[in-house]
Amino acid sequence: MRNIGDVLKQNLMKREVIISLVILLVLTYLAISYGLSIILSTLIIFSIFSIVTLSLNLEVGHTGISQFGRVISVIAGAFVVGAIPGRILAFLYGLPFGLEYADDAVNYKVVPFIHKILEKNIALALGFFLFCLVLAGLSGALIGWLTSRPAIRLREAYLGISLLAFGDFFMWVGHNWEPLVGGTTAVFIPDPFRIVWGYRIQAVAFTFLAIAVLVYLFIERITKSPFGRTLKMLRDSPLVSRVYGKNIVKIRTQSLVIGSAIAAIGGALYVIYTGTCTAIGFTRLTWTFWPWAYMMLGGIGSNIGMVLGVLVLTVLRTLIILYRKSVFGFLLLWGIDPIWLEYTLLGLVIIFIVLFMPYGLVPEKAETVLPSGRIKAILESVRKQSSRTPEN
Amino acid sequence: MFPPWLAGGLVYASALSLTAGGITLLYITTRTFNFAHAGMATFGFYITYIFYSFRGGNLYQYFPLSFLFGSLLGIICYIGLNKPLLRRQASTITLMMSTLGYDLILLSIIQMLCDYLSYTFKLYPRRVTMSAYDFEMFRTSAASIISPIIAITILTLLHLFLTRTKFGTSMRATIENPILASASGINSDKVYLMSWVIGGGMAALGGAVMSLTMTGTPVMGMTLIAQMFAGAILGGLESIYGGILGGFIVGLAEYVGIYYLAVMVGPWILGYRMALPLLIMAITLLLFPRGLAGIQWSYLMESIKRARKGVKS
Repeated sequence: MRNIGDVLKQNLMKREVIISLVILLVLTYLAISYGLSIILSTLIIFSIFSIVTLSLNLEVGHTGISQFGRVISVIAGAFVVGAIPGRILAFLYGLPFGLEYADDAVNYKVVPFIHKILEKNIALALGFFLFCLVLAGLSGALIGWLTSRPAIRLREAYLGISLLAFGDFFMWVGHNWEPLVGGTTAVFIPDPFRIVWGYRIQAVAFTFLAIAVLVYLFIERITKSPFGRTLKMLRDSPLVSRVYGKNIVKIRTQSLVIGSAIAAIGGALYVIYTGTCTAIGFTRLTWTFWPWAYMMLGGIGSNIGMVLGVLVLTVLRTLIILYRKSVFGFLLLWGIDPIWLEYTLLGLVIIFIVLFMPYGLVPEKAETVLPSGRIKAILESVRKQSSRTPEN
Repeated sequence: MFPPWLAGGLVYASALSLTAGGITLLYITTRTFNFAHAGMATFGFYITYIFYSFRGGNLYQYFPLSFLFGSLLGIICYIGLNKPLLRRQASTITLMMSTLGYDLILLSIIQMLCDYLSYTFKLYPRRVTMSAYDFEMFRTSAASIISPIIAITILTLLHLFLTRTKFGTSMRATIENPILASASGINSDKVYLMSWVIGGGMAALGGAVMSLTMTGTPVMGMTLIAQMFAGAILGGLESIYGGILGGFIVGLAEYVGIYYLAVMVGPWILGYRMALPLLIMAITLLLFPRGLAGIQWSYLMESIKRARKGVKS
């Protein structure tokens, strides 16, 4: 039995614990000086990006696919939620639901009607929310399956570039094809959280956080399972996994389908939170490169690192936005908006990690089949046996 | 001389061929997919714009300055970022991400520069129509004649440099086989630096040319990086000439193809312009996973001949 002091000392000295404590202090300070709403909105953004980054980590960190098209599946989730559930409700209640639904002159009249219905009926609101998530997950899985087709053929860099290009393409389709999500104008999403009006942001924050925790547990469960170890084997050496009789094509497809479905749920949550869906908002900068930066900061391949990476960078972004006048106000003398420092920060973080911390905040730990205590015991017994038998 | 859609297409294709050639050059020497090409191209455009708006005169006389500035950006990227990573033998993805970080810093500097220019000098750098400052030549815009000439000149110079000079030969040797080249006493460091100088310069020049056919914005390079990569991938990422050709094909196909499609189908298709290069890229990758340069032409011709004979007999 170790005493409690030793355990505390060991755990407190861990990097992730120290960082979390610092962030907690920063958040408490912000809560005291700016009120709780800023914490809640940070928490919502944190939950959404945690989901997206965890799914990215499943594909990049665990399977070794160069996924530079995360935005594709986020778009799949967001556009489907923007286009379909609202139409279904409009159809059920006799409102215009065809191609004209996404037209901004119709849409801004139809959605308030749906809001009035959703406000009163808690079962409907809950069902609507769950339906959105399921729909987003299904469409994400479909898109993941579609992107897995080239993923089998192409080499890593080619694949990354192709996925990046197709992410742009989907964004332009949404931007130009008005019946989908309103084209250049935003389409409104019926808001299932209207039922708790007044406490909407709190409800959204806790729901999203709960979903993020569920996704984290799910991915942790997957990566600790035999399937997760197969993924890592595939990443480290495709040859070895082929030798062991694994079907590489099938495993890659499964990983992409699961990852895309989760990312699509992230996209769906984002549009439900903002209440609108604008195609032009789903740029590859926000939905591919930001999650990549989070992932690299957290440490590619470790799940808790993802959460930590998202937390650190989200809080830093919030700080830049909050203190852009008081700390970086000198830039305004030359007419420069300090908001651009966000990009500088992102770039510097990526470069710093690549150069000095290639394994991120929480380096990936080796997954073992048995608990580490049992492995040590087995090693010990093997050593004893080998020392007992004379070598010849 | 040219109809307006072809004139625009020629300028665009030349610009894409310059940038795609630069991307290919950097990939075959340093294994780096350079995302910073976006920032470098935008910087090239802004250098031309700034010098033109302060000093006036002919637009094209500032293009060499753009090239030099792009080279400078390339040198900074190589010394600060690429060299330590190459020494560590980092993976392709890590190299790619490092240039992405550099690109984001360049983007933020460009945005701040735009703010500064519009605040202090009352310019309008966020939406620039450079073609308005262009002059006319042979009853068409000068850009449509000069930019292909620029692209061909750069291609010729590059070819001469690679085949006729000693350093070019050592560069080709490093591209062919880095280990063997360094064993025979070639300083691979210098070769990499040179490729960043040329690649960065080509990117900036490409950006400057690009602004002659489209609206110059701080995110111009960022929106076009997919097309640049499409050109490089179409070229096969194995020879610089392939990259230059691929960029030209992608650019011309985008302009000319969309013109004909719009005439046939209707103007609504203009919004999906960027789907064309992607379609070309996807088809090429599906048919020839190694791009145009990876096709074994002699083998292909032979098999076609054989198929014909088989049909006859």
